[in-house]
Amino acid sequence: MTEKPNRSSSNHLPAGNTAESRSGSPILSAILSALMPGAGQFYAGQRYRGVAMLIAMLVITGMVFWYGNPIWYLSPIAVWLWNIWDAISLTKRGKGRTLLLPVLFSLIAAYSIGWQLIGINFSAASADRAMAVLRPMLRPDLFETRKELNQMWTYVSVPCSATETPPPARREVDGKVAFATPDCAGPGGTLIVSVSGMWPNADTIVWWETAIGDDKPLGGNENAPLIVRTDETGSLTTAIRVPSTVLIAQPDPTLMLQHKVYFDQYRPIGGFQLSTNGRYVLQGMIETVTMALMATTLAVLLAVPISFLAARNLMGGNPITFGIYVIVRTILNIVRSIESLIIAIVFVIIVGLGPFAGMLAIAVHSVAALAKLYSEVIEGIDPGPIEAIRATGANWLQVVRYGVIPQIVPPFTAFTIYRWDINVRSSTIVGFVGGGGIGWYLVQWIQINEMRAVSAAFIAIAIVVVTLDYISARVRERLV
Amino acid sequence: MLRIQNLTKIYPNGTKALTDVSFNVQDGEFLVVIGLSGSGKSTLLRCINRLIEPTRGKIFWDDMDITAASPAELRRIRRQIGMVFQQFNLVKRSSVMTNVLSGRLGYTNPWLSLLGIWSAADKQRALEALERVGIADKAGNRADSLSGGQQQRVGIARALMQEPRLILADEPVASLDPVLSHSILQYLEQLNKDGKTIICSLHFLDLVHRYATRVIALKDGYKVFEGLPSEIDRVKFKEIYGEEAQEVRATTL
Repeated sequence: MTEKPNRSSSNHLPAGNTAESRSGSPILSAILSALMPGAGQFYAGQRYRGVAMLIAMLVITGMVFWYGNPIWYLSPIAVWLWNIWDAISLTKRGKGRTLLLPVLFSLIAAYSIGWQLIGINFSAASADRAMAVLRPMLRPDLFETRKELNQMWTYVSVPCSATETPPPARREVDGKVAFATPDCAGPGGTLIVSVSGMWPNADTIVWWETAIGDDKPLGGNENAPLIVRTDETGSLTTAIRVPSTVLIAQPDPTLMLQHKVYFDQYRPIGGFQLSTNGRYVLQGMIETVTMALMATTLAVLLAVPISFLAARNLMGGNPITFGIYVIVRTILNIVRSIESLIIAIVFVIIVGLGPFAGMLAIAVHSVAALAKLYSEVIEGIDPGPIEAIRATGANWLQVVRYGVIPQIVPPFTAFTIYRWDINVRSSTIVGFVGGGGIGWYLVQWIQINEMRAVSAAFIAIAIVVVTLDYISARVRERLV
Repeated sequence: MLRIQNLTKIYPNGTKALTDVSFNVQDGEFLVVIGLSGSGKSTLLRCINRLIEPTRGKIFWDDMDITAASPAELRRIRRQIGMVFQQFNLVKRSSVMTNVLSGRLGYTNPWLSLLGIWSAADKQRALEALERVGIADKAGNRADSLSGGQQQRVGIARALMQEPRLILADEPVASLDPVLSHSILQYLEQLNKDGKTIICSLHFLDLVHRYATRVIALKDGYKVFEGLPSEIDRVKFKEIYGEEAQEVRATTL
């Protein structure tokens, strides 16, 4: 590496001019290039080629060295060999070799490293896991059949008191009778519960409601619903265990309180209705669309004045206004480059969880995007009509009203609708970081593996986004 | 009578567009300004209604000094000077009717006009102006849906709304198909016969011969000729347009 690359400076020739490169000793240039890539090219008078060769060689070698799998050293070696061949050709023929080969070898190195960094591993895919996720998604939890509820309950006292006699665990309403024996029990104790006067031969869910309103299932290991079928007279009797957790969160566990045992029967009455998750989806979508609407409105109010500061034809006149123009443009470009999802993380910290944070985040991103689009509209204004309106003797306000506004309002409106459309899409995801809207529900359903609700949310998002996309395209067509 | 005295315009970048140009225009004349592109024709016309501020010189209209007018006076002067442009300068997205009505802005109540409210008389006047140029049926169309010739007629109708005493026409036919030139210039000729003074810049010499009552020629910002159109012969033509120039006739195109 002792060769100084400037030894050819005495016979300096215009760089890149291959046809006129001065011939030198091919052997010397080959040795130079072998010792230091690019040195031979430099010696042959091709300075840029030589420097570019050295830099390219360093980058490729560096990348392979850093991430390297030994076999990838083929790439830098191939480029190095090509570099010697090129140096010989330059001195012999005055003409280098095609750059196609080194570019190809560099790309092979880049893609190999990309493959390794991304961790592409198709064998990691599991059909079982895919089916476990996809199968429930084929039955989106958006609608359910309309059902009628037939319900009965009775009080049960928990725990038994040493001093007090429990009230009778029996209740009679509309010909339905529910009772439990004994009248009181402690957690884990066994009760015989009975109900009569219900629908005959119907599945009945038996469940527990604690004194403070918590629902407890009674089946399985206290983790599944207990379903018992009524007989042909509409009665059932079953033994239950008082759930072990019924006294949790009760200040004094020795205090006897009234809990309830419920008997629920459902039967379809025809038609469909929104399911519970379907209602959340609907609520989330309404929140999402209005969040986008509010954010866009706020953004428009701020972007219109800012756009005038970012319009070169208005601000280019003198150095001070041009300075403002440059500063405003730079800030807009920086803000625009930050995704609203990331801005939302900041606003969630500042204003707390919920759609307000998401709205502010989307608004900030939209101000920057809209101000840039608006300012380009202003820059594209036709000065002709303004001149013509001035020539009629109109005053300044009239010139703005009849010469400027008709030119900018339609494109401003079109861009605003377009932005709203984009913002609906953004507001579906800001919920992932706590910014409210459908994403807020979606991320929680994903976490509890409620894939039927997830697919319902997907469907709702797709319908809303596609519809708005279509409407906004049609409206913009008319405006522009 | 319009008197222009020693009019000079130097642009901020140093370009001398006009140098010491002086001439008079009698009421009722059809004055044509000729000269190469860049010779100062457009600057001259725009100095007359001060769309461009002259650097030096005076412009008197009757006894009023246009160059010394206050902003309010200038607006009153401008509303009596109609202007027709090479590129028509219509607001493309507005309707033909709105474009024509905007010619009336110098006369209407400014606050009502800001709300877009126009008196019935103005609307009637706009329809009459459109009828006069033969496109009353296009009143509701968007301006950019019209052909070039129709757009220029809207431009003339807009100028008519000002009830102008003087019309400045800046190459009104240069953007049009040559065969349409006569139809546009005949409207201007008709207005001239109704007593309005016309100052018009033109490119084609045969149009000059046909319509002008008097001609002024500009070259590099200097007035190089003033006289009757019949006085422009081949020698004068070469003087004004340079040795390279070949005369092109609009009618032969």
